[in-house]
Amino acid sequence: MKGMNNSLLEINLSKQEVNDLPLSDEILNDYIGGRGLGVKLFTDRIAPQVDALSPENVMIFTTGPFGGTSIPTNGRFSLVTKSPLTHGIFYSNSGGFFAPVMKKCGFDGILIEGTLKQPGYILINGDEGATIKDASSIWGLDTEQTLRKLKEVEGDKIHVLSIGPAGENLVKIAAIMNDADRAFGRGGVGAVMGSKKLKAIVVKGGSKKTEVNDPELLKKFVKVAMDKIKVVPITRISLPKMGTAALVNVINTLGMLPINNFQKGYDERAAQVSGEAIEKQILQKDEGCFACPIRCGRMTKAGDMEGKGPEYESVWALGPNLGIYDLITVTQANYLCNKLGIDTISCGGSIACGMELQEKGLLKDNDLKFGNAAILKELVKKIAEKEGIGAELSEGSAYLAKKYGTPDSAIHVKGLELPAYDPRGAVGHALGYATSTRGGCHLTGYLASLEIFAAPKKIDRFTIAGKPDLLALKQNQKATEDSLVICAFAGWALGLDYYARLLRAITGIEYDVMELTKIGERIYTLERLFNLREGIGKEADTLPPRFLNEPLKEGFSKDNVVPLQKMLDQYYYVRGWDENGVPKPDKIKQLGIEFS
Amino acid sequence: MVVDKSIFDIFDMVGKHLVRQGLNTSHSGNISIRSGGKIIIKRRTGMLGNLKPEDLVETSLEEEDSGSLIASTELGVHRAIYLQTDAMAVIHAHVPYCVALSLIEDEITCIDAEGFALYKKIPIIDVEIPAGAYYTSIEVPKVLKNYPFVVVRGHGIFAKGMTLEDALQYVTGAEQSAHIRYLTLLTEKPLKRDFSKEKDFSSW
Ligand code: SF4
Repeated sequence: MKGMNNSLLEINLSKQEVNDLPLSDEILNDYIGGRGLGVKLFTDRIAPQVDALSPENVMIFTTGPFGGTSIPTNGRFSLVTKSPLTHGIFYSNSGGFFAPVMKKCGFDGILIEGTLKQPGYILINGDEGATIKDASSIWGLDTEQTLRKLKEVEGDKIHVLSIGPAGENLVKIAAIMNDADRAFGRGGVGAVMGSKKLKAIVVKGGSKKTEVNDPELLKKFVKVAMDKIKVVPITRISLPKMGTAALVNVINTLGMLPINNFQKGYDERAAQVSGEAIEKQILQKDEGCFACPIRCGRMTKAGDMEGKGPEYESVWALGPNLGIYDLITVTQANYLCNKLGIDTISCGGSIACGMELQEKGLLKDNDLKFGNAAILKELVKKIAEKEGIGAELSEGSAYLAKKYGTPDSAIHVKGLELPAYDPRGAVGHALGYATSTRGGCHLTGYLASLEIFAAPKKIDRFTIAGKPDLLALKQNQKATEDSLVICAFAGWALGLDYYARLLRAITGIEYDVMELTKIGERIYTLERLFNLREGIGKEADTLPPRFLNEPLKEGFSKDNVVPLQKMLDQYYYVRGWDENGVPKPDKIKQLGIEFS
Repeated sequence: MVVDKSIFDIFDMVGKHLVRQGLNTSHSGNISIRSGGKIIIKRRTGMLGNLKPEDLVETSLEEEDSGSLIASTELGVHRAIYLQTDAMAVIHAHVPYCVALSLIEDEITCIDAEGFALYKKIPIIDVEIPAGAYYTSIEVPKVLKNYPFVVVRGHGIFAKGMTLEDALQYVTGAEQSAHIRYLTLLTEKPLKRDFSKEKDFSSW
């Protein structure tokens, strides 16, 4: 398929073997690239009930046909693996500059299985292919030190995926860092890499160009897309000026900014850690991924530390959700998470759960209480090192709350801690949390975009009519976008009608919105089938009880709970799944899925 | 079946808007949404400007059922649109300026700044027998796969949206662009600025 190299780098760490894995046009037509391609290859290859931290787990990094072109925000790529936190299929997405270079080296992705005997790293060196190298001198270093050291050895012009001490120590909420400041953040994917004793993947060089069927047409369509990004206020002003933390004040005003482990939805002190506060107090400059005109990244200086971020989810997770409103402390904790390789959302979610347990008198740790900013950085370090209370927090909130006898205190879905939107304030978004194939994730269908930000159109956030239908559509379409691959934030301005045209210009194949949506449905359904095989089904399509039974008491989302069951029944029906959430045989056949 | 009040309120608001703005006659046009894997659509002979809760019918997306007996005559087009596109809501209206231009042009180019930025162009199709579900149900969804609306020559517009308000915005936006184009054509004077010439949307 034009736009792709039709080739993947296949690496078996146990056997120290490196191969080219050819990709057929058939698989690319059916799954495109990115998440879809990863999900297909992963589900074909992995055996049932494999332990996520065993050599049998597979990690697949993939880019898509948009990668390396002039399409805005195309620098992102996907990772598919099995999560040690959710025990289900996990897809993650990261930006930066790694993916375009990987593609220039001739590979649409990297498939990794097995385990090294000694710590190592993979070097993909331009057109020369890949080698596995010794990493004993960088094992134990944080991600910034690792990047610096690798630059000394491999030269300045490299891009690096690496794990920090958290990944090495198999912390279940460990991330993989991308050039030390972007991340494959969620689901404990850093622990999977750590279990393989793989410290880093380095790319450099490469001379392959992405082949485009009609460069002139692509140029025309890219211009139209760029124009749209420049007229939509969120992509033109809000994200470039304030980054994603622009959302803090918006969400707080709607009464759905989770405070103290989702016990409240509003706190006026949230303004102290808002996008405006970041811009005024700590912002050094903005920063963007490859080919991105939006540039939502923030380079900041907080006290005596400098770094990237915090993003909206991070500033909330390490701030208001812990009752902490000190911007410098929150930002420094965020830097530490990046250095040590920890998912900020799950880190905050686990600590918040611990604080609630302490508040309830179940966990005896006098320092672990809401609002205690003084302990935050130390806690992050303890999590990475699995030291003291950090050892328990490092397992994630579901484990922690269960251990102390109150599973309801863990704010998670399928083991993954929820992000920064209280579901009681947007019922379609709530259904998205409950049904996401990767667990408590806001991006899988992201109805918040419509329910909260009216992007591209406003829908009532409390009405359930039509929400299951719309969510299923959006989940399918997001799976396609993740397969093309393009940044979710471009979606504030663009949509599948744009992407279908761009893909047509690249491949020469006549795609339309519905065909792309069907590809997304194929991907989503395959993810569901995998999870069902692993024992994750209807009983896991739920929300923490407080969202179903306890309304918020103040703010613009008060008095509302999530009418989940009614929406869930409709959702299964809309998807062509039976009443137990199992895709019906005719649906599987219609989508052309083969999986057992 | 009586639909939720929240759903009725949206139908009522959109229906009134269409009639008051002269985009439908007292009895023409139809509107629907996709909800819970079914269609909720205006009943046959229901007046868009004066809807009652019993004027809304729930019916299957794919097959004939008792709801189809009393649903709008153009149910077949709505069904076809839902089955073949990403529509969550559909409006059919007899918008006069779009219809007028459809009788003299092959597509309506948006020459005003708003229409140019949002819609680029309004496709027109010919259907053997325009008023009636059969032929339109075959041709209309093909276009709505890639465009938010389509004008059936000499008949009216079909617009899809994520919600009824969204589809309404497309209907009124298309009609506004057509109106402006129509007025400038009447003057027979050259345009001082033609937005449609500033970018090539021929392949869009
Ligand atoms: S919008 Fe932000 S995350 Fe997305 S590609 Fe641009 S800089 Fe990267």
